[in-house]
Amino acid sequence: MSDITIELNKVAKRYWLRRGWYVTSIRDEMERFTKRLLRREVAPREEFWALRDITFSLKRGEVLGLVGPNGAGKSTLLKILSRVTVPTSGSFVVHGRLGALIEIGAGFHPELTGRENIALNGVILGMSRREIQSKFDRIVAFAELERFIDTPIKYYSSGMQMRLGFAVAAHTDPDVLLIDEILAVGDASFQAKCANKIAELKEQDKTIILCSHSLTNITDHCKSVLWVEAGRVRMLGETDAVLDAYLEHVTAAMNAEAEHTQQQERAAFEGLATIHDVVTLDAAEQPQTRFDRGDRILVDITYSAAQPLPGAVFGVAVQDIQGYALGGVVTDPDTVKITSPVERGVLRLILDPVLFNRGAYTLNVNITDPTLKRTYDLKRRAARLAIDGPRAADRETSGHVYYPHHWDSLR
Amino acid sequence: MFETIRNAVRHHELILSFAVRDIKARYKQTALGVAWAILQPLSMMVVFTLVFSIFAKVPSDGIPYPVFAYSGLIFWTFFSNTISGGTLAMTANSALIRKIYFPRETLLLSVMVAGLLDLIIASLLFGAMLVYYTISLTAAAFWILPLVVLQMILALGVISVTSAAHVNFRDIGHALPLFIQLWMFATPVAYPVSVVPHWLKPLYLLNPMAPIIDGYRRAIILGTRPDLEALAVSVLVTLTLTVTSLAIFRRAERTFADVI
Repeated sequence: MSDITIELNKVAKRYWLRRGWYVTSIRDEMERFTKRLLRREVAPREEFWALRDITFSLKRGEVLGLVGPNGAGKSTLLKILSRVTVPTSGSFVVHGRLGALIEIGAGFHPELTGRENIALNGVILGMSRREIQSKFDRIVAFAELERFIDTPIKYYSSGMQMRLGFAVAAHTDPDVLLIDEILAVGDASFQAKCANKIAELKEQDKTIILCSHSLTNITDHCKSVLWVEAGRVRMLGETDAVLDAYLEHVTAAMNAEAEHTQQQERAAFEGLATIHDVVTLDAAEQPQTRFDRGDRILVDITYSAAQPLPGAVFGVAVQDIQGYALGGVVTDPDTVKITSPVERGVLRLILDPVLFNRGAYTLNVNITDPTLKRTYDLKRRAARLAIDGPRAADRETSGHVYYPHHWDSLR
Repeated sequence: MFETIRNAVRHHELILSFAVRDIKARYKQTALGVAWAILQPLSMMVVFTLVFSIFAKVPSDGIPYPVFAYSGLIFWTFFSNTISGGTLAMTANSALIRKIYFPRETLLLSVMVAGLLDLIIASLLFGAMLVYYTISLTAAAFWILPLVVLQMILALGVISVTSAAHVNFRDIGHALPLFIQLWMFATPVAYPVSVVPHWLKPLYLLNPMAPIIDGYRRAIILGTRPDLEALAVSVLVTLTLTVTSLAIFRRAERTFADVI
């Protein structure tokens, strides 16, 4: 047998957009049928290609990340691979037992106990009864549900149901594993458990497709990434290259979108002060958006004020690509004093050294009153930074922020 | 058809699991539990005896009417429960079908397995009735087995089309109770075949369920073999229907997840 475990050849999937409700009625179908008989015009049904021309292959032991915006076709692709639905055209093969951590707990019946549901769900996922029996204790222990195993799961909390679902699915011992967004559910300790399990499966040389909006998860686990956009392969290659391009694309799209909401938002402010421009500069005071970790970065904020604004406070907040706030700084009331109308003021923020890890970041800039409650102006995603540096997966660093440190071996 | 048999063997654990789930879930939080399996045909028997035997004086081939009616009713109840459960099986499991792959016909087969249990439970009362009316079984009673198998194949043929159709057209679900009721009156459940006018009989026996229900009565109560000629027609109709329906089902199941 060759080393290829997953192979897709020009896979495409078409859906018909249905008017109104998603199930047609017989009347509707008969209407179309008679109209066709009478050679009347039949309204063409709208088609929608969820996937087009998807071709790629994966070798045994490879871990592929799957990224793309909502509606790009990621879930459809996973559905086809897991055989829930068939492609409209094209072909694909999956060698070995396939497991899916996609819709965990889908087969659960609320009236049945945890024990009964493990038996049922295990068989649905393709395990034999004997196999389930031998793994039963491990599954229960993993889910941490020993005390409640004979309680109908309709009395379980959603977290308990999720744990049970993951526990069963994780013990199916597949050769090929599809994972969709699973790391985003559950509490912190459960997420950690999931991550550990995935690491364990990786070590066992399983072929994995990991679909996630968390790019950290992708960088942590995947060697290569497939970027799907509007049902097509936009890019396929090494994690770094694909994610860089993807981030570039996403922020551009987000900027365009932010521009729009911004205009509406700014109309609500009082127009007492205006942020005109935010530019990032390198140490040589040249405009620059790409930096290395440890560089000196200058952020120049150009603003104007229509009237004196004593005590106005400037703030700069940094977020990662998904919009999580990483930290913000504000000016002291003494730093800038707007005692008379300003036509063109420039304020400079100096970050030296910048301690963000590799990744893309955006800056929100605002001007508020001294109590920080009244916003004079706010510019979201006013500037974008791309920081180069070692990959998180290289173990030197992790997370978004690097902190200066050194180690001492004391004994 | 062969593929269905192969799937049934390969996935027998899954079929059993679904059946166990359905049975357990059906009787959980009910006070009477599995007694419902007896109550359903039993209450019908009481009504039928009252209406058909006492009011309308329908003949019953010399068999005490309650036994006559119940013998037809337990097998008919098995059939009709299978048809209604099977038709709705795909939509009832839509969450599963949308998310996980497994051979879809296992759901149909599991409905039949679960129904079989109800049949066995309902037969316990039937056994008691036979004792009460001092009717003793003969070797002809072994005909029950092929008749049950034939009935199940027929039911599979019906539900593989209706369940697939119901995924696309929910109208099927609305038409279902009416359809089952009409079919029951076209089958000798409440009355014997002997009351069917001679000229109508060839048409009447095209209903594959007619010789089956009649056959149970002959085998159990009269101790004779079924009407083999009529049964041969039934087998032919059943096999044609089921082979075609399974082919339709197999085509349709590929896109269940998209439309359900």
